[in-house]
Amino acid sequence: MELILSTLINGLSLGGIYAMIALGYTMVYGIAKMLNFAHGDIIMVGGYVIYVFMSFHNPLLAILMAVICCVILGIVIEKVAYKPLRGASPLAVLITAIGVSYLLQSLAQIIFGSANKMVTVYEFGAIKLWGVTIQVSALVTLAVTVVVMTILTLFIKYTRIGRAMVAVSEDKGAAQLMGINVNKIITITFAIGSALAALAGLFYLLKAPSISNTLGAMPGIKAFTAAVIGGIGSIPGAMLGGILLGVVECISYKITAIAPYTDAIEFSILIIILLVKPTGFLGKVRREKV
Amino acid sequence: MKLKKLLALTLSALLCLGTLAGCGGKVNYAKDNTKFIIGVSGPLTGNAAIYGTAVKNAAQMAVDEINAAGGFNGIMFELVATDDANDAARLATNYSSMYEGGMQVSLGTVTTQPGLEFKNLSKDDNVFFLTPSASGDKIPEFDNGYQMCFADGNQGKVAAEFVNDNYAGTTIGVFYKSDEAYSKGIYDQFKDNLDSSVKVIETTFTDANTTDFSTQIDTLKECEFIFMPTYYTPASQFMRQAKGVLEAADAVYYGCDGFDGIDSIDGFDITEIPQEITMLSHFNSKATEGAAKEFIDKYVEKYGKDTLNQFGASAYDCVYAIFNAMKAAEQAGKKITVTMSASDLCDILKDQFQGGFTVTDAVTGSEITWEDNGYVNKSAIKYVIKEAN
Amino acid sequence: MMKKLSNIHWNHYLNYIVIGLFTLIFGSLSLGGMYLNSSLLFLMEKIAISIILAVSLSIVVGFLGELSLGHAGFMCVGAYLGGKVATLLEPSIGNSPFNLLISLIVGGAVAAVCGVIIGIPALRLRGDYLAIVTLAFGEIVKSLFQNSSDESFGGALGLDTPRYDKQYLFIWAFALVLITLAVVQNFIRSKHGRAVTAIRDNEIAARSSGINVTKYKLLAFTISAFFAGIAGVLYSFSNYTVQSAKFGYNYSIEILVMVVLGGMGSINGSIIAAALITFLNTKLATILTGDLAVLQNLFYAIILIAIIIYNNAPSLKNFRNRFNFGVLYRKLIKRNADPTNIGDDKAKWDVVPTKIEMNEVLSTDLNPSDNYIKGKGGDK
Repeated sequence: MELILSTLINGLSLGGIYAMIALGYTMVYGIAKMLNFAHGDIIMVGGYVIYVFMSFHNPLLAILMAVICCVILGIVIEKVAYKPLRGASPLAVLITAIGVSYLLQSLAQIIFGSANKMVTVYEFGAIKLWGVTIQVSALVTLAVTVVVMTILTLFIKYTRIGRAMVAVSEDKGAAQLMGINVNKIITITFAIGSALAALAGLFYLLKAPSISNTLGAMPGIKAFTAAVIGGIGSIPGAMLGGILLGVVECISYKITAIAPYTDAIEFSILIIILLVKPTGFLGKVRREKV
Repeated sequence: MKLKKLLALTLSALLCLGTLAGCGGKVNYAKDNTKFIIGVSGPLTGNAAIYGTAVKNAAQMAVDEINAAGGFNGIMFELVATDDANDAARLATNYSSMYEGGMQVSLGTVTTQPGLEFKNLSKDDNVFFLTPSASGDKIPEFDNGYQMCFADGNQGKVAAEFVNDNYAGTTIGVFYKSDEAYSKGIYDQFKDNLDSSVKVIETTFTDANTTDFSTQIDTLKECEFIFMPTYYTPASQFMRQAKGVLEAADAVYYGCDGFDGIDSIDGFDITEIPQEITMLSHFNSKATEGAAKEFIDKYVEKYGKDTLNQFGASAYDCVYAIFNAMKAAEQAGKKITVTMSASDLCDILKDQFQGGFTVTDAVTGSEITWEDNGYVNKSAIKYVIKEAN
Repeated sequence: MMKKLSNIHWNHYLNYIVIGLFTLIFGSLSLGGMYLNSSLLFLMEKIAISIILAVSLSIVVGFLGELSLGHAGFMCVGAYLGGKVATLLEPSIGNSPFNLLISLIVGGAVAAVCGVIIGIPALRLRGDYLAIVTLAFGEIVKSLFQNSSDESFGGALGLDTPRYDKQYLFIWAFALVLITLAVVQNFIRSKHGRAVTAIRDNEIAARSSGINVTKYKLLAFTISAFFAGIAGVLYSFSNYTVQSAKFGYNYSIEILVMVVLGGMGSINGSIIAAALITFLNTKLATILTGDLAVLQNLFYAIILIAIIIYNNAPSLKNFRNRFNFGVLYRKLIKRNADPTNIGDDKAKWDVVPTKIEMNEVLSTDLNPSDNYIKGKGGDK
């Protein structure tokens, strides 16, 4: 029982981080209709910004700067690399996104070197609950993820910009004819996605206080997996997928016989889900129009 | 028209070939050497760059010292280091560029996985190598390869004996990387030699870039002894993250030579870890006496503290071992010239290393000999890097 | 007879001739007993492997218009399976051409089967998903081989494979390049190839014209995987060990860079880019060490972004039409030629003139200020 509980809590906190990244993926994919491969690397940038500003020993300042820098970076990437390709084939956009991901990783290595950097943002400590030691940071991660998801859902439902996002997602051309500035909406989407990535970077550092230039690569891919499992474009879907994947990963690491194959298991789940239910759990079926 | 041109071209090319073909046979690439060339291939970039850099620096330091003292009968040595980024696929290029550049003797590779390629390439040309740190059991498979470090299997065996003596009847934890030759090589031997009364909880990771070990820590949180046959980067992240989670504050982290350097990571304060950290190695980077102390002082003065570790110490010993073996061979009446082929020099050195050649008072051991199968024979020392608080 | 020959489209066969001549020269040098430097032989092996990889990936990326990020995964399957077969056969038939042949067939076939397995979900999905599925496939394959038992595929240490005599392997490798070219080019220039490019240009239009989209996607994907497997087997014969760490995501991207640099949909471009990048990689590896090595990745990243934006950005269309290799070529070499003359109208499928810009025609993302609308207004 204790084992199950501690595994579950570990899984939930890891899943919270995946969900946070997956939210960013899902927003961008749902609205700009592109797979932003560089999303994982924005997490890494967020981590490095925190690392740099932690030299002032002020966690709040560091977090704030990380969010601001990531938002600016997200907007710049969108304007420079993706905007010229609006209307080009999805393949071209995807390859560019991979290029951007590579670019960020290489630049980070040039600036910070390839060795891992250690940084402690804040130590929450641990509490004992029903005989299980629980990291408070895990609970914080989970709580913040739920709050962010709720805010995002409300934002999209009840604000003008939110509804404009839905409109752009449904039909870009029609949205434009209704007077929505599509470019502006897409930029805002990227900004929100990048801010979420910065938060994900923070949670990573709270969990494991070490950062390298490839920090975001694997979590980025796994979070995309999570977004697909939950149904891409769906905000609760991203949450569901992220948490599911986090729990599966932790359970798999607990079982000695299959532990080495954990990554393979997670990716197999992706392939199986896509075979059985390509729209994921909560995704909508889209009809292709000519 | 085009076809005619093409035919003419083909024919003339074939004619040229006729004149070129025929001059064959193996080449002695060292025939124009003015210095003895020592080659080494190691990761100068990527995750393992710190090891390659240490080997390159320390070997260069040894070469400079030997040259300053007059070299080998007045003939200087030259070190050629190539970068393999810990990728075996780059070895063929690295090896051939060094060999064709006149390499006569080699330090092999710094890490095991490229070393598996190197041992075969060097066997074909019969090039002698003494590797400072490629610890895979299969590295000295052929008679031209020797190790200065302990083979993985031996490290696992010694660690298992230590556990059998001190932790019989208890439950211990093991944290290793299941898809890495070094980590798995040690652990497999460890498991085979372990007493049946010791119960093992093992936990693994596979992603080299991961920094989060919360599940692994959770698995091992009740253990009082944790064996960690990994390199120090994941180990340090594990310890840092395990800080308040591990139930026994006086537990022991026990690592192998990959632990060396764990106390000099930027941003990782070893005194923050409440548990004891111990390693089994041939070099202590905190040594206060003997050849090791001398080496540390010289190295830190020249290259700083960041890359000081057992890899460099071992490489330093390797260069001196090769130099001394050449001197010993000459005293035994063998003729060694600067233009001799790698293969001829290899035969001479092989005779030395097979024939009881001994290194004394080196940085990584007071008396070092080699077994016929290429494994090193010296004493391993258990160093306590940090006592439990 | 000469007249008949002059009717042949020589530029269709130019790549065979160049590669064939190259192989002939160095092959006869080596067979004639000339001692070639190992570094040259190794480089040639690597170039041949890269060409096979780039050409095979170009079927999927350039002609089918889908993104595969798991090409190294198929290569990994070929390398391990081919290497295993070679190891098993070595005691009985030695390290002979016969052994090489059987290993090639097995490695290629298993990789092709993997291609079918991965292709099936791919058929149900659109572009971006396929990229992720292939990426996942690459990681799964890597992980399975890396954690295999020591007896089966060598586990963490990698699989020990017999290395083929280096004086001869590059000849086989280039012969395989020629076979790959023959198969791929004939496929692309056949009606099947036209069907594949039609799917790329507009899948719905292709489907409504009666093209069996499922069949052709799967076919293109399988051929591509088969040759990636062949490249893998060659890799296992050109190395003493096969270590799966090599076949990660980064390697898939490197192959993708070759295809993109060569110009998507151009076989010859892929060949040149593959040779160039492989050559540069081996040269740069010895020059850029330490922290400088990352510059290579930076360079790849910038190439990818710049080339894709230049070739695909709708707003750069006019610029592209004025400044490109074709225009440059005509300006420099055929000064007097009339640029509006399309010339011989026989199908040149490696440039695929059928491309209908359906996206542009049907795009609903219109600004009132778009040239498109202005142009229409001007027509009136």
